[in-house]
Amino acid sequence: MPINDALRVTLPIRQYLTLMDTLARFQLKAEARRFALGYLWWIVEPLLYVAVFYVVFVKLLGNRQSDFLVFLAVGKLTFIWFSKSVNQAAMSLMTNRGLIGQVNLPKHLFPLSIVQEGLYRQLAVFVFLLLFLTGSGYMPHVAWVWLLPVAALQYLLIVTCGLLAAVLVCIRRDFQMLIQLGTVFLLFMSGVFWDVRALEDTELAGWLMALNPLVVLLDSYRQVLMHSESPDIARLFWVLVEVLVLLIGTMWIYRRLNFWLAQRAVTQ
Amino acid sequence: MSALLTLENVSMSYPITSGASGGRHSVFNNINLALAGGERLGIVGRNGTGKSTLLRIMAKIFAPSSGNVSWASGTTVSLLSLGLGFRPDLTGSENALLACMLQGLSKRDAVAELASIQAFSELGNYFDEPVKVYSAGMRARLGFATALKNRSKVILIDEVLGVGDQIFRDKATAALREEMSEDRAVVIVSHAEAQMRALSTKMLWLGSDGQRAVGDVDEIFALYNQ
Repeated sequence: MPINDALRVTLPIRQYLTLMDTLARFQLKAEARRFALGYLWWIVEPLLYVAVFYVVFVKLLGNRQSDFLVFLAVGKLTFIWFSKSVNQAAMSLMTNRGLIGQVNLPKHLFPLSIVQEGLYRQLAVFVFLLLFLTGSGYMPHVAWVWLLPVAALQYLLIVTCGLLAAVLVCIRRDFQMLIQLGTVFLLFMSGVFWDVRALEDTELAGWLMALNPLVVLLDSYRQVLMHSESPDIARLFWVLVEVLVLLIGTMWIYRRLNFWLAQRAVTQ
Repeated sequence: MSALLTLENVSMSYPITSGASGGRHSVFNNINLALAGGERLGIVGRNGTGKSTLLRIMAKIFAPSSGNVSWASGTTVSLLSLGLGFRPDLTGSENALLACMLQGLSKRDAVAELASIQAFSELGNYFDEPVKVYSAGMRARLGFATALKNRSKVILIDEVLGVGDQIFRDKATAALREEMSEDRAVVIVSHAEAQMRALSTKMLWLGSDGQRAVGDVDEIFALYNQ
């Protein structure tokens, strides 16, 4: 395919980040306008999750484990950041086909702006989570500082999976269904409802942690926030390596398929 | 004046996705064209001859299947199509700001252009309402005003000017003639002959097999209407 240099699309990094931030903020604004509670949903949603967990697991199922509600809240409120962002990013090239058909931009801008939107929302969720932990008797501890690198690693994982999901859906819409099913599958396989450290089969626990980075991340959040301990750094490091390799590969795909993706998004 | 945009033997085809043939559908072949600053090119052709696809190639959105497209250094291109590009939940002002930034303006420069976009589009207080409440004409006005004011060197207009009311169409036509200085160019696709005659300084006729003729407006329309 003949592509001369003028067709290669590059934006200065500062311009790119401002554009990504503006897109994310406008998307949040637009979403807030659609609902009567607007931005309050950022707090109402996690609050409702905790309320439902309380009713189901404490009242209905009679769970006596004192910290189970906190255990669930930490797992679910961090897992949902991943699942929501990836599912929304998956559709981003298709939902932005109007813009893609009008302006030659790096296509990764669209999934990344969705991921950025999720990050802003998650910041409010983290504030809620920390307040909930404190209210439940978990006093702030110096180990909580680990929250920053763990959340940064999860952000990187979301970026990578979101970018990849958007390309797959652009190639075939069927991937949208598979990605939705995949995140439901991951909800049960990532240790949201169970503790990987409590598994009797330690070999199986090792495999789960090696194959699913979310198991490592959720466990790290709990180690840091509930037990005030540092996370398993070796495992986090390997997650970082895996994510970076996948991210580099995904960015290469975006660079290579820039025009093909535009054509596909516009004509599909 | 040197060309802002040059097309040499540009052809376009799409893979046929239905059926198992795995063949390609040819949209057009061997388009040759040069667009200089100050020129306003009209493109005519029947439906399905690839006018919108050609605009997308000119706008650097699609790459041609073969041939070469080159832009003069620093040439920014803005494509205006009906119903595309606006986010319905955002206001006219927010959409205009985004459109300017997407065309490469810094946020500060984009904000500085908003007042003139609002004035030219004549949207009044609707400028701060979500675009989903706009009529087709209001969207076209916002899109046109944004494209005109975002400082793109080349503006590509795909059937947009036919949507606004007569007063706005006259205003848009006058603006395209007056505001497009010698270093900017316009490409217009429309089925409205009177408007094309009023705006264009040269014409390209696209047939089912590609470029039929390029040349003087009267000459091309005489051939096209035969």
